[in-house]
Amino acid sequence: VTVWAPAVAAVGVGAALVTGTWAVATLDTAVAGVVAGRGLHLRRAALAPLRRAALLAGRHPVTTERPDAPAWVVAGPLLLALAGAALSALPLAEGLAVADVPDGLVLYGAAMALVMVAVFLHGWAPNSVFPLIGAYRFVAQALSYQIALFLVLLGAALPAGSLGLGAIVEAQSELWNVIRQPLGLPLFLVAGTALSFWGPLALPDGEDLAGGTAAESSGRELLVWRTARAAVLVATAAVAAACFLGGWLGPVLPGPVWMVAKTLALLVILVVPAHVVPRVRIERFVSFGWTILLPLSLVDVFAAGVVALRTST
Amino acid sequence: VGLNSLRIRLAGAAPAPVFVVCGLGGRERVVDLYAEPGLQVYSTPRHAGVLLVVGRLTRGLVAPALQAHDQMASPRLVVRWTAADGDDPGDHGDVFPNAVVAHGSAAEVAAAVAAAHRELLAGDRPPSAALLADIEPAPWQGVGPYGTGGTGMTGGVPFGRPMAARAADRDDLELDQLKLRLGPLLPSLPSGLVLDVALQGDVVQSAAVGDNPYRLYAGDPVPAAPAPGLFERACHQPVRIAELERARARHHLRWAAGLARLVGLEALGVRLTTLSARLAASEESAQAERLLTRIGRSRWVAGTFAGGDLDDAGLAGLGPVARAAGSEEDARTHDPAYRALGFEPVLGEGGDTPGRVRQRLAEAVQALRLATAAGDATTTVSGVVEGPRGRLGRGAPPPSAALVDLVAGVVEGLEWGDAVAAIASLDLDVEEAARHPQMAMP
Repeated sequence: VTVWAPAVAAVGVGAALVTGTWAVATLDTAVAGVVAGRGLHLRRAALAPLRRAALLAGRHPVTTERPDAPAWVVAGPLLLALAGAALSALPLAEGLAVADVPDGLVLYGAAMALVMVAVFLHGWAPNSVFPLIGAYRFVAQALSYQIALFLVLLGAALPAGSLGLGAIVEAQSELWNVIRQPLGLPLFLVAGTALSFWGPLALPDGEDLAGGTAAESSGRELLVWRTARAAVLVATAAVAAACFLGGWLGPVLPGPVWMVAKTLALLVILVVPAHVVPRVRIERFVSFGWTILLPLSLVDVFAAGVVALRTST
Repeated sequence: VGLNSLRIRLAGAAPAPVFVVCGLGGRERVVDLYAEPGLQVYSTPRHAGVLLVVGRLTRGLVAPALQAHDQMASPRLVVRWTAADGDDPGDHGDVFPNAVVAHGSAAEVAAAVAAAHRELLAGDRPPSAALLADIEPAPWQGVGPYGTGGTGMTGGVPFGRPMAARAADRDDLELDQLKLRLGPLLPSLPSGLVLDVALQGDVVQSAAVGDNPYRLYAGDPVPAAPAPGLFERACHQPVRIAELERARARHHLRWAAGLARLVGLEALGVRLTTLSARLAASEESAQAERLLTRIGRSRWVAGTFAGGDLDDAGLAGLGPVARAAGSEEDARTHDPAYRALGFEPVLGEGGDTPGRVRQRLAEAVQALRLATAAGDATTTVSGVVEGPRGRLGRGAPPPSAALVDLVAGVVEGLEWGDAVAAIASLDLDVEEAARHPQMAMP
């Protein structure tokens, strides 16, 4: 078992990344079709990501004038790896995780804190103006959501008295955290959208910047970057499912089915706003982050602490 | 081999990735491309594989078009969409000698692009080779202590690229300032707009509008004058109010589609463009009215746009832009036929970007209602018509000429995202501005 463990782990994480990002792209295409008034075509939506990927995979890369080539090579795979690391700590069912570490939440937090590095590298590397502006935008954005993101996760860990994701799920066997801490999930989804720079908070890769950090990306490099962005969104939804919706817990159906279903449901909630809510101004998001998101997440974590203390005494 | 052919088949079924170059007379046609399901229009040539040149290339557009071409990843291809009556021979058609030529409707062109793109992927069509030499844009200037040609670690133009230089910001702090030329092919700006900006971070410190690429020089082939649109015709002959107001609503809907794309709502843009083509049907017209009303009322407008203040002064004849800032001027108020319909101009939604956005949305709704109410009523000819961008007629310069002059002032001090939204809220047509008499051939 020990010899094969890394291979099994790699296959597990790889499968989660591939199916997860494919699901995100499918959902995204389907929702876009509905909003555009073209109707819901699930089969076409499910094929669309494969077609786009095939198209990008066949393009020869182009480069810019004096890029930071190593940084450019690293950025996309780094983001993908970070999402993979986050997913590896997530239990599909009791004891069924690639890396069932006792401090899974810390692993998730560490991986997601480095997202800023990957995005900044991606904007820095092409030696071009719009990507660089995108990179700096993400720094401003990250500083505004990060504390709140991890505070609400700490709140979710308090009833379990553990930072292990498995323990957090088990502690919800009587009552899911989404009810116990009503502020937690909404706050986490907002912060998670910012972390995944998706939809209305896709500011670093915004249309006004002609694609932002990805403005100079093409071919396979662009494919890796788009996949990595979707993977971060998958990790966000999966962590939210484990920390707030009771992960694998649920009647009748086996645990993994519940975990996947909850993750998918949250992905829908994360993907739909991308097509109905316009881009938020970066200034507005920064002030929202510090004046609303952060105070509310403090309220959330204090309330969770008080409840946890009363339950334990 | 099996895998590769599967990949090519899959890739061929994807929407063709397109970067659009809007030439003379291309603007209206470009809008339709975004709604074509067989195409995916990208905002950077790096994401595209097809350079779609719509209309005639002018002298000012050749160099940017060539650069955009060479920035596309290979395999790549050029398609030229010429007008139905054929663009004049002798334009800059020889810039892309191997271009596929397509004409007809947007749907026909989209089909031609998709077919050519599939052939390209299958290897049945040779990919377009680089057209520019891969050389430094300017020689290295080994001047200054760091070889940049500037002083200290900043300043200078080492490779034809200005480095950031120290300059006072709005708070009198000495910070790095980067001078850039943006456009004419940047899709977040109106096509053809060239903007010389000084950026500090992503704040526009100062801006100036550069040369109009649509302007014609002595010796350039002169294009046939475009067929007069409904609004131009209305200057000289009575037209049905219903038709005129539908055309106005259509114009505003297509403008709103562009704005939707700019704020990341590409699918909504498709919806608005599709609706704009079907306003003659009462159901679609009602649908458009509901959608526009909902967007105008929602909190989005206030949350998505900010800044871009203009005061009422100097906005005479600029239609929605002027009325948003509080002007009461609307040529329609002098028309007895409109007065009989109870027409009153929409006024004063605000002199800033959100105000102008709300103004135009409200005016589109008003136009749709007028079109429904007007029946067979026709306009009274007075030589002056209220066009969708402002007053037209009597040899007056087109509104866009004055709108272009507002650009520099309106973006100053704005964050880049707000700056592009402020420019979009002006709804200017750079090609129309080039037709201004003062911009005539030197």
